[in-house]
Amino acid sequence: MASISIRHLYKRYGKDRQTVVNDFHLDIKDKEFLVFVGPSGCGKSTTLRMIAGLEEITEGQVYIGDRLVNDLPPKDRDIAMVFQNYALYPNMSVYENIAFGLRLRKQPRHEIDLAVRRAARVLEIESYLNRKPKELSGGQRQRVALGRAIVRNPSVFLMDEPLSNLDAKLRVQMRMELIKLHKTLGATFIYVTHDQIEAMTMADRIVVMKDGVIQQIDTPEAVYTSPSNTFVASFIGSPGINFIKGKITEDAGGNLLFETNRFSLPVPKEAANVLRRHNKTNRQVTLGIRPEHVGPEGLYSDCVFTAVYKVSELMGADRFLHLDIGQDRLLVARVDAYYRCENNESLRIVLDMSKALFFDADSGARLT
Amino acid sequence: MLRALGRFGPAGWRRMDGFQKLLLLSLVLLSVFMLLPVVYIFNHAFKPYHELFVYPPTFFVREPSLQNVNELASVASRSTVPMVRYLFNSVFVSALAVALVTGVSALCAYPLSKHRFPGAGIVFAAILLTLMFAPEVVQIPRYLVVSELGIMNTYFAHLFPLMAMPIGVFLLKQFVDQIPDSLLEAARIDGASEFVVFARIALPVCMPAVATVAILAFQNAWGNVETSALFMLDDEMKSFAFFLSTLTNNLANNVAMQGAAAVASLIMFVPNLVVFVVLQSKVIATMAHSGIK
Repeated sequence: MASISIRHLYKRYGKDRQTVVNDFHLDIKDKEFLVFVGPSGCGKSTTLRMIAGLEEITEGQVYIGDRLVNDLPPKDRDIAMVFQNYALYPNMSVYENIAFGLRLRKQPRHEIDLAVRRAARVLEIESYLNRKPKELSGGQRQRVALGRAIVRNPSVFLMDEPLSNLDAKLRVQMRMELIKLHKTLGATFIYVTHDQIEAMTMADRIVVMKDGVIQQIDTPEAVYTSPSNTFVASFIGSPGINFIKGKITEDAGGNLLFETNRFSLPVPKEAANVLRRHNKTNRQVTLGIRPEHVGPEGLYSDCVFTAVYKVSELMGADRFLHLDIGQDRLLVARVDAYYRCENNESLRIVLDMSKALFFDADSGARLT
Repeated sequence: MLRALGRFGPAGWRRMDGFQKLLLLSLVLLSVFMLLPVVYIFNHAFKPYHELFVYPPTFFVREPSLQNVNELASVASRSTVPMVRYLFNSVFVSALAVALVTGVSALCAYPLSKHRFPGAGIVFAAILLTLMFAPEVVQIPRYLVVSELGIMNTYFAHLFPLMAMPIGVFLLKQFVDQIPDSLLEAARIDGASEFVVFARIALPVCMPAVATVAILAFQNAWGNVETSALFMLDDEMKSFAFFLSTLTNNLANNVAMQGAAAVASLIMFVPNLVVFVVLQSKVIATMAHSGIK
């Protein structure tokens, strides 16, 4: 099995040398499940394709294991790839699709048969080995595509949005199966998605990308609780994090306050120390707070302010309230499903300020 | 076919609006009209002489006879080269031409469509440009090329002028364009060499276009008299189509041989029909049926 080292990778396209991937530098551990996540056009797929050898590397090096693979063709990199549109060979049966790679490697017939049947058993596609891809549903096709990847027993699996074409329920199921597969195979997985839920649920580590630049590399938990900037904070989590623009002021007692036109909230001690160190007193900052840390009055009596109820979304166990806090900004709060309120009712709202994050108002970088 | 007809059955007819009915009727009329020459060829071949020249001409044969077949047989037996030799030339050249044209067109279309190389656009534009030349324009240059190559009076001279078929390249390129790149990339990752990707993945997916090109190439080669007239010196190298054209051509507007010519045109036509019927099921199978999308 193999670790992967990516050294200062660049990809530039076209005559104007537009940079699509910018200084991508990363070490991927053996047997790790790594997810590249970001909005479309952020360079995540291009990076994956450079690791696969489907795209020329403009600058930088890719090592798989100890081997520099920059100039190796895809077939010599000991990788397998799963594509978003499955890319099954339409003229071959499921069996032939899975066996194709082994046949090209001139393995003995009985070994191929054994390997294909084993892969089919793992993915539960034994019953339609003789069918053509066009006779299969999306979920079945995706399994065949996975089968084609696992049968060759590669050390690295590359997946380019493999679940995007599936319906929501099947996607959840396949997510679990991919996690199981990763555990059984003990191979390195690199998975590209624009869906932060897939990233959160499956990854050992998440790489958040934007405009070809890595924004943060961390565990799902860390990316969620300590995002490196406003982009990561807003991209990860659903519904998204709330941002409130405001000013840091100091009261007579020497405590820091977060102030907007409508309300002012006390800044906890630890955060206050950091803000002081960054010299943010009397400066603009952005406060980020997740919906689960916003709620109706009752918990933290010193952080209360009023907001006007606008819309609610029932998610089953939870309800998301959309609250107007002035300046045309809506604040989302997660409350229990049984919570009821009237249209345009004024609510007393509290924020859990110990969970609040402070970001630089200009650069968006996280301060606390 | 039956399924298609079923759609136009009484229930289907009731479901159609006025425009669709009109469209269907005019399409039926058009196809009957298109079928007329085929029916005529079959009838004409079996008309005895007095029916061939009757005025006003008849469409359907009244007293079918094999008189014309006998006449053709006697003409053939009188010619210095046996008719079988002409037939062999035509079958041999047509079969090879189909294989070569489809092969060359596919080998040309695939890189033009799926590989970025400098000048690809110019090459493709040049190929399209050749579609605009009238055949007569290239006859003399073609003669010079064939004669300089020293392949006059050989089968190569039959094949080479037919081998480059721009319309075939064009058709195949448009089809290869539709193949998702990921399909070819998947094969490359599976360990396929570029030729394997072409032969085992791209070509089978393009079967509809390949079949279309094959039909066109066959018709082109089977009916071809130009190479026989220009490049073949000996009679035994000439094609069947050429032989048939000589039956009537030398006797301008004469009554003689018209019966033999009628049978001959039937013999010329039947292989075209067979090739088309065999390959047409492949032509209809489009991308939508192949399970890519």
